[in-house]
Amino acid sequence: MISKSLFTKLGPQSIWIVALLFLIAAVVPLLNLALPESHPLHVPSYLVGLFGKYLCYAMLALALDLVWGYCGILSLGHGAFFALGGYAMGMYLMRQIGTRGVYAHPTLPDFMVFLNWEELPWFWLGFDQFWFAALMVVAVPGLLAFVFGWFAFRSRVTGVYLSIITQAMTYALLLAFFRNDMGFGGNNGLTDFKDMLGVSLQSDGTRAALFSATAVALGLSFLLCSLIVNSKFGKLLVAIRDAESRARFLGYRVEHFKLFAFVVSAMIAGVAGALYVPQVGIINPGEFAPANSIEVVIWTAVGGRGTLFGPIFGALLVNGGKSYFTAAYPEYWLFALGGLFVLVTLFLPKGIVGVLSQLRSAAQKQLGQRASAETGAKPEAAE
Amino acid sequence: MKRFIRHVALLLAFALCAVPAAQADEELTHLISALANGKLKEMPAKISALEKAGNSKIVPLFEALSAGTLFYRKADKAVFITRSSADGITLMAPLTLQEQGVTTKKSLKKIKVNNKLRRQLKTAIANLTLLSPDVSLRLSAAKELFKSSDPAVLPLLEEALHQESDASVRQAMQESYAAMTLRTQHASQQHRLDAIETLKAMGNQQALSVLTGFVASASEPEERDAATSVIASINKRLARWSVAQNVWYGLSLGSVLLLAAIGLAITFGVMGVINMAHGEMVMIGAYTTFMVQEVIRNSFPGLFDYSLAFALPLAFLASGAVGFAMERGIIRFLYGRPLETLLATWGVSLMLQQAVRTVFGPTNKEVGNPDWMSGAFELGAMTLTANRIWILAFAFVVFAVLLVVLRRTQFGLEVRAVTQNRRMAASMGIRTPWIDALTFALGSGIAGMAGVALSQISNVSPNLGQLYIIDSFMVVVFGGVGNLWGTFVGAMTLGVANKFLEPYAGAVLAKILTLVFIILFIQKKPRGLFALKGRAVDL
Amino acid sequence: MSPKEKQPLLYLNGVSVSFDGFKAINNLSLVVERGEMRAIIGPNGAGKTTMMDIITGKTRPDEGEVFFEGDTDLTKYDEADIACLGIGRKFQKPTVFENHSVYDNLALAFDEDRGILANLFHNETRSRRGRINEILDTVRLSHRKDFLASELSHGQKQWLEIGMLLAQDPKLLLVDEPVAGMTDAETVETANLLREISKNHSVIVVEHDMGFIRDLDVKVTCLAEGSVLSEGSLDHVASDEKVIESYLGR
Repeated sequence: MISKSLFTKLGPQSIWIVALLFLIAAVVPLLNLALPESHPLHVPSYLVGLFGKYLCYAMLALALDLVWGYCGILSLGHGAFFALGGYAMGMYLMRQIGTRGVYAHPTLPDFMVFLNWEELPWFWLGFDQFWFAALMVVAVPGLLAFVFGWFAFRSRVTGVYLSIITQAMTYALLLAFFRNDMGFGGNNGLTDFKDMLGVSLQSDGTRAALFSATAVALGLSFLLCSLIVNSKFGKLLVAIRDAESRARFLGYRVEHFKLFAFVVSAMIAGVAGALYVPQVGIINPGEFAPANSIEVVIWTAVGGRGTLFGPIFGALLVNGGKSYFTAAYPEYWLFALGGLFVLVTLFLPKGIVGVLSQLRSAAQKQLGQRASAETGAKPEAAE
Repeated sequence: MKRFIRHVALLLAFALCAVPAAQADEELTHLISALANGKLKEMPAKISALEKAGNSKIVPLFEALSAGTLFYRKADKAVFITRSSADGITLMAPLTLQEQGVTTKKSLKKIKVNNKLRRQLKTAIANLTLLSPDVSLRLSAAKELFKSSDPAVLPLLEEALHQESDASVRQAMQESYAAMTLRTQHASQQHRLDAIETLKAMGNQQALSVLTGFVASASEPEERDAATSVIASINKRLARWSVAQNVWYGLSLGSVLLLAAIGLAITFGVMGVINMAHGEMVMIGAYTTFMVQEVIRNSFPGLFDYSLAFALPLAFLASGAVGFAMERGIIRFLYGRPLETLLATWGVSLMLQQAVRTVFGPTNKEVGNPDWMSGAFELGAMTLTANRIWILAFAFVVFAVLLVVLRRTQFGLEVRAVTQNRRMAASMGIRTPWIDALTFALGSGIAGMAGVALSQISNVSPNLGQLYIIDSFMVVVFGGVGNLWGTFVGAMTLGVANKFLEPYAGAVLAKILTLVFIILFIQKKPRGLFALKGRAVDL
Repeated sequence: MSPKEKQPLLYLNGVSVSFDGFKAINNLSLVVERGEMRAIIGPNGAGKTTMMDIITGKTRPDEGEVFFEGDTDLTKYDEADIACLGIGRKFQKPTVFENHSVYDNLALAFDEDRGILANLFHNETRSRRGRINEILDTVRLSHRKDFLASELSHGQKQWLEIGMLLAQDPKLLLVDEPVAGMTDAETVETANLLREISKNHSVIVVEHDMGFIRDLDVKVTCLAEGSVLSEGSLDHVASDEKVIESYLGR
């Protein structure tokens, strides 16, 4: 009964995408681990790592799309939620190093020993437990989004003002995390991780498992976002995006709806960051850089905002392009990225997926009109 | 080193005018060559002898000895002042400073010196220069003596004071005399009380440290009390001055923020266009300055002091042209879609950065300060550097000119008409697209001029613009969009607030606190300090 | 009748508000009874829209009192609260959700729980669908049910917005210039529509179109410079010297 109503609410397209992501999560590790390297279908480990990273980016873009594409909140600070999730995971991984650090201190991470700290700061307590770290991965970004959004939406900061202060937020966090006395490793961030849940991060098995986890997490996030945007709540988000005051005069507490979407989005971003850190092996304040957050916006814009598949597609496409460019023509990557910003905003405001679905619906409409013309029921011309 | 050369040159001029005293010179030469052989232990005596025998002519030699550039030739033990140059080491005669050819380092041996000797040399130099006919030399000598505690200098200083006619030198001598009086405790009680009064009038950090030292060792309670009360009053005065100094630093930072933000106040504030490439307009201005200076250095070195005067209009034109092209090529298609404008201009900013990086390289470029931009002067107990004063003045002038342009000219009238009611303006015969493009070019051009100013105080690199873009937006948003005075007050407020936070929180934390403050402030007043009120602003 | 129901529905007394020194509303007093339809006329800048802003909580008055149903002080609430209290508003410029279908526009306006959870786990019911279809008939948009609102003509958007007010089922409808930009035929239709609506609801209509006001045939209030200039039947108001002076012209 529940699954049936779920199915009707989501529509076949979303079901396919989720199924595909789960399939990838199951098959890719198999192709990586079970097949010998000489086999044509073997997926090399470096590709597993690379695509694992891309899937994290896709999840971040999906999170941004929920607030930007559906609710019109252009956050230029989503990188901050991603980074906070990453730091929460990084802190867990740091505590897992134990005595294997350079200074072999049983509880203190190396950088604290280096700074002559005597004991673990209070906010590092509990991070030796995976469940606690996993909780913080969603709780910390969620809390920041809640506090920030509470103030911002309640006082009706919208449009570019909101964008600019979200940028200021991530910039302030960037400066703060650079400070050594913040207790997050300063400039160098957190790195030299050894293992996670008792298994080495370096092993192929762990990497494949992380890839699977990311693909599953992306699939679940997609499912969650689909459920939200296809509910009446989702329609209301779009309504708020298009005519905020109309929604307000209909009696909706617009700020609560925005806040809910913003917090959910921040939590998804936090999970993406947490999955990203063990795969790349480092988290540092650079992740808070405002430029990073704006790059997420372009992934979403290229793929197509206001569609859920668009940002995933865009993140994979742009990052694939980035990997290719920075290897082949490192000089020209920023030209390409900058040009992409300009071209997409000028010529593809709905993104690639948006344009495709527009074409499809236009074709359908034409078909429908032809059909109705044939049956003689002339549609009334809109005056 | 520069100062040394100046001293040398002055001395040289003096030496040429002086009546040659051949006999005295011969004795000097003898004493000088004695420096080449002998032990460190014997040096104090030799220096005293030189000091007694010589006059200010010996000062360059003392300075060279102190700086470690006095050598003797191994072959004949002749003593030289040396200067390293491209093709080896240039030798100069110790008294006349005439060049004596170039040699290699191997053939020379350095005349050793230690810190004790350096102190002695310093006093000796002061002694010699206190009576020099050159005012600036006497002044620096008098100031130098403030830190000395050699009671032997006192009589000399007294004599110099007696002869001195220049008021500022006299004052410096009196202050140094007072300091020495207190430090050495040789004089009478009345002298010491006078000295305390003199230092009270001086009232700066130096006076404070002399007085603190005096209180620690003073034996007479009356003097100690006098000194203690003077210390308290100086501390009070210094606290007041440090507030003033902070205000100055704040205004100085504010003027930089104003310069960076004022172009944005036009493009964002007046036109409502979010230009994320605004920082790059500033960068283009800074690189224009660099290129102008390169051309001047290579072709017209004499014009270097005027380089900024050439750079200003060129930077205005360069950034203005880029802005014009941006408006025509991109932004005009995006009016009414502010978020898209934001993204497209960000793209432009990435491309401009990379273009500059490709052409000029990723490293910092050296942009020189013309003479009139360097140096500093003191006002009470605070120091004002020339470049900061000029930038403050420049920011004010740009702001004033902009106000006049927008309020008093036909162009300004048309700009305001277009921004208030585009369709009405168009039907009145104003070419609105043209006004849009020109307004945007104006805002960009002003950013370019800001770049010229900023090149004088910060590194010129492809990232220059990124350093200022967030701050600029903060200023405009804080001040209230669409209001130039808001931008002005916003820049100054944020500058001063930042500098007042810095002593307590440190530079980074102060900046973070300012950002957090603005974020909270926007919650309270979403439209900034000077918001335009009215019905249905957002409908 | 309970004492509460004897009270007027809307009661404004001595309301003033100014923007940067300009008095948009100056000591305005107005009473609207239950079931009444009231037309408000007045020159541009008379404070008609600002008055609506004050009633719906968008603008806070500097002084004066605004009461709804006798004892609800509207100055203490914001837009969403006031909408839930039962005051619906149509904007001067038709404002509908352009990217939603006509049906969805009405469904979003439909009078039901405005909470987050209720909207996340919302299910369509037959009675709701029936009610929305009725409203579609009332505002003459049944044949446009599945069109996007952005595909409607200007007049249809005005009607859709009125339909959304009906779906919201408020006690009082504020309708700002409903016939601006409409053809004559549409104007007549709109007058009929509003008269129909006023059978079950109280309505305040702001309009410049005198023919339309005459069609409505209700009590008229003329505002000028932020206060009431004249009040009564259209003929009474139209013959008032002050009204002729400041608004209608000779």
